[in-house]
Parts: sequence; structure tokens; C-alpha cells
Amino acid sequence: MTLAKRLSQVSPLLPDWMDTLALGAWGVLMMKYWLTGRLGLLIHPNYFGLTIGAGLLLLVMTGLNLQKLLRGKPQIGVRHFTLFPPGWMSMVLLVSALLGLWITPRPFASETALERGLQDSALLTRAQPQTFRPNADPAARSLIDWVRTLDVYPEPDAYSGQPVQVQGFAVHTPNLPDAYLMLTRFVITCCAADAYPVGLPVKLPQSRQAYPPDQWFDVSGQMVTETLDDRRQLVIAAETLQGIPAPRNPYAY
Amino acid sequence: MYRLNSGFTLFLSLLVEAIPFLMFGVLVSGLLLLFVDERRLLQILPKHPLLAALAGSCFGFLFPVCECGNVPVARRLIMQGASAPVAVGFLLAAPTINPVVIWATWTAFRDQPEIVVFRVIFSLTIATVVAWVFSAQADLKPFLQPAVALAMPKPLVIPPPSQPPLLQTGTFFLDQPGQPLQIDPVTLQATTMPACPLPDAPKITAWARFRMLLDNSVQELRELGGVLVLGSLMAALIQVAVPRDIILDLGQGPVTSVVAMMTLSGVISICSTVDSFFALSFASTFTSGALLAFLVFGPMFDLKNLGLLLTVFKGRAVFYLFVLISQLAFLLTLFMNFWLS
Repeated sequence: MTLAKRLSQVSPLLPDWMDTLALGAWGVLMMKYWLTGRLGLLIHPNYFGLTIGAGLLLLVMTGLNLQKLLRGKPQIGVRHFTLFPPGWMSMVLLVSALLGLWITPRPFASETALERGLQDSALLTRAQPQTFRPNADPAARSLIDWVRTLDVYPEPDAYSGQPVQVQGFAVHTPNLPDAYLMLTRFVITCCAADAYPVGLPVKLPQSRQAYPPDQWFDVSGQMVTETLDDRRQLVIAAETLQGIPAPRNPYAY
Repeated sequence: MYRLNSGFTLFLSLLVEAIPFLMFGVLVSGLLLLFVDERRLLQILPKHPLLAALAGSCFGFLFPVCECGNVPVARRLIMQGASAPVAVGFLLAAPTINPVVIWATWTAFRDQPEIVVFRVIFSLTIATVVAWVFSAQADLKPFLQPAVALAMPKPLVIPPPSQPPLLQTGTFFLDQPGQPLQIDPVTLQATTMPACPLPDAPKITAWARFRMLLDNSVQELRELGGVLVLGSLMAALIQVAVPRDIILDLGQGPVTSVVAMMTLSGVISICSTVDSFFALSFASTFTSGALLAFLVFGPMFDLKNLGLLLTVFKGRAVFYLFVLISQLAFLLTLFMNFWLS
């Protein structure tokens, strides 16, 4: 006997209640992410509107369904062909939404950065820059601006001696010597699934053990050219490294 | 623990991004189902096989349905007398060649516009070619399930036998001496089947239609949403549990990556409206050709859709479809891997 049949034996309206609860739970979850400011951890701000709209629509549908169910009317319409018995899918939706309400998503950290190839392609952003804006004030460039600028014109000597002030989190990449760390940020174009890390090596005044991984730093210093990992590259020679709290929205765009 | 949480974050981000698109697709296809009469559209389609195949392939622009909605619509089109190339073209192309899916693909692959462009070109090419091949079969009935064949409008015309009846195979009634009457098994099966109730546009009030739209949307959201949740779970698990070296080895080979992604798309059966978000989680590790193979092959043929196809076509026709689609998808995306990227 299928789950749906068993459920409908308890009450003929139970499968409908399950559908309604599952959709309602997803509506609540989306609204919760929006209201608690967690949506930015999951998706690009361009699509906030879509998610908020979908959450509202789910709640409206839930309301309309509830109203109908309280009057004791079952769903009409043809049953669709399905890969799984109908009761299962409501359960899957409901359980996943409840898990989402229970477990708080956390921003990605250095482990993910290493896994997603921070070492292989540290100096590449995927977006092809449409315009090249040589920022008048190099110190005003963010970490992403620096990496994008390097994408366009990669010769490190062109930037040697320029002042720099950037924020990011520390990653201890194994291919860098002990007195260096990789200051990193994640860039997302759509959602956390495509988040990829970009970073610049930072030359430290002492061993990197003093700067734990995943800690956010505000680094200021100047650009120098060094050969690391058999490659000439631009390195931030740090003058000050100030630990800062992780920003509310850790991603860059 | 960290890996588990980052996997969970990935899982949720896929869902939060994809569910709005899924809802949009479900609502639009529900609206069309209830408010548009496709019979009128069929009358203005071209008759030439290639043009008809192309027109059928572009029909998705009018009926933005994903692969779960296109088979019922294709079945209705066949029952209402659409020619073979129109129906097959629609069946294969509609899940991809429609505004909702193109928009979702663009959202996911803004950084790699070539994925969006080639998804459209490859899907359109495969759908048109396969539909054109099917136009060689002027009468679709032998390919169809008896219930569908019966519901087709035109009476079945048995072509006059070109050779003496004694040399033909089949079942015969001895009608007149020397003139045995051949029984076409398809017609026989169809006439003995109970007639399938045709979903004729019912005369109902706007409020009742709205209620039907709501119920239809809830059911579709539940089914497609469930598959989406399972698909996202699988994507997150692969990202978290399989070592990166293995994925990179598999994903960087021009041939292995295409085969792996085609298999994955066939198994995972994720709705075409949201499959681009799933593919996105493989964007950094798999070749562009492999991503395209996933995005082109999956909507045309997968496990979920296999069951649906068998409600319209007989096994033999479904097998032809599978062979043609998979070969074309494989060759085109391999071409992409070797020459275009």
C-alpha cells in the first residue's frame, strides 16, 4: 500500500493537508531568510526579489488551500504521472523546509576555498570585464577590484609600489611559504553553488600561525612583485593586519 | 561538521534560487492549460516536414512547459491532429526552447553566455532533426499507444495492398472469396480499448478555473519541488562527499565528462526550468560540453520522462527517440569540447 493511500485512510484530506503544510513551510523559510538577512548568504542580491515574491506567493497559496481545507473540500484536477508515490514528495518538501528552519546556513570558509581551486586559479575571475577602469586611487580598490584589474593587465611590475588596503579572510594555502597567507573572498554570480574564491597572497611580518585561517583581516601595505610557487606574481607586503569581524554579507559580486 | 554545513548551505542556496523559477513555470503552464485552445494554433502550422518540425520545436515559446508538462500537451496535440514532425518537435524542444527556461539558464550562467546560446541552438537542432526523421512516418499510429491512436481525429486509411494478400503477413478475415480483409492490429487494439476521455475545454466559470489552477499548481509544485529537493541533495552530496581529484579527473576529460553528465541528467530527472542551477554547481569542474550535454539531453530524455513517454508512444518509438537524441547530443557536445572551447 502506498504512503498516500495509508494517509488517506487516516483522513481523506490528510494528503491535501500535507501538501499545504509543505508549501507553507517553504514560504515561511524563504520569508525567514529575507527577514533575518540570511538571504545574502545563499543567493546574489539581484534575485532577492524573486525569492521574496515566491515566498509570498507560497504563503498566499497556503492560505487559500487552508481556507478550502477547513471547509472540507478536497483537491480537484487530474493526478499527474509521478516517479514516486504522491505522499513521498510532500514529505520530502516538508522535511527539507523544516531542516532549513532548524539549521542556520553558514558562509563558506577556507576549506571550501581550497576545495574550489583557490590555488589553481587564484588570479582569475570568471566575469569578462566589459570596461577597464584604472582606479585613480589604488588604495580604494577592493580585493575583487585588484583581481579584476590583474585579469585585464597581469604584469605585476605595473602595480609595484602602489598602496593597497583590502579586506578578506585568511586561507593558509599549502603552496605558499610559512610567512605568507592568501587573503580571500568568495565571488558569487547566482547562488552559493557557484561561489568561487579569489585571493591575493599577503607577505606577513611573522609566521602565519599568528593569523588563524578563516579570520577576517583588514590589510594595508603596498604591492610588491615576488616569485612564489614558481610564478612571478603580485603580493601585498603587509604593514598592518587588523583582525575584523566577518562582514554581514561575506560575498563579493 | 564544516563540510556537512557547507553542503547544506549549497543545498539550500540551490533551492532558494530555483523554487521561484519552478513556481513561475508551473503557473504559466497551468494558465495555458486552462485558458488556451491549441486547436486553433495547429491549423496555421506549415505542412512541409522540415518547416513543420521547426515550427513544432518553437511551439514551446507559446507553451512554456518543462519536461513534466510537455508530454501531456504533446499527447493533446497528437489527439487533436498535429502531424508527426510538429508533435515530436514540440515534445523534444518545448522543455528548453521557452522563455522561462532560457531566462533561468541566463540567470545561472550569466558569466558564460555561450552555455545559454548553445543550449538553445543544440536543443533546437536535435529536436528539428529528430522530428524531421519522424516525418518519414506519415501515419504515427503504429508508434502510438492504442488509447492515443484511437483518439486521433482522422480515420485510419489502410493503403491498398501492393502485393497479393497471400504474400502479406498479418491477421485476415475471409470476407469475400479471394478478397481477405486484413486486420490492422493497431486499429483492432485501439477499437477494443475504452475511449480515453478527451480533455475538451470545459465550460466553467472563471472562479472554478482559478480553483483548478490553484489545485493544479499545488500538485505540480509538490511533485516537481520534491524532485528538485532530491536533485539538489544529490548535487550537494557529490560536491561534499566525492573528492575533488576524482571529480576533476572525470570532469576534465572531453569524452568522459560528456558521458558522465549525460548519464547524470538521465538519472536525476530534474525539471528543465531549474536544471541550470544544478549544472551550475558543476561549472568549475566540468567541461562546457559536459554542462551542455546535461542541459540538452536531460530535458529531452530522462527516467521520469520515460514513464511519461510510454503513456503516448510504444516502446519501439521511445527507443528510436532515445537512440537519435543521445547520439546527436553526444556528437554535438563533443564537437563543442574539441573545437569550440
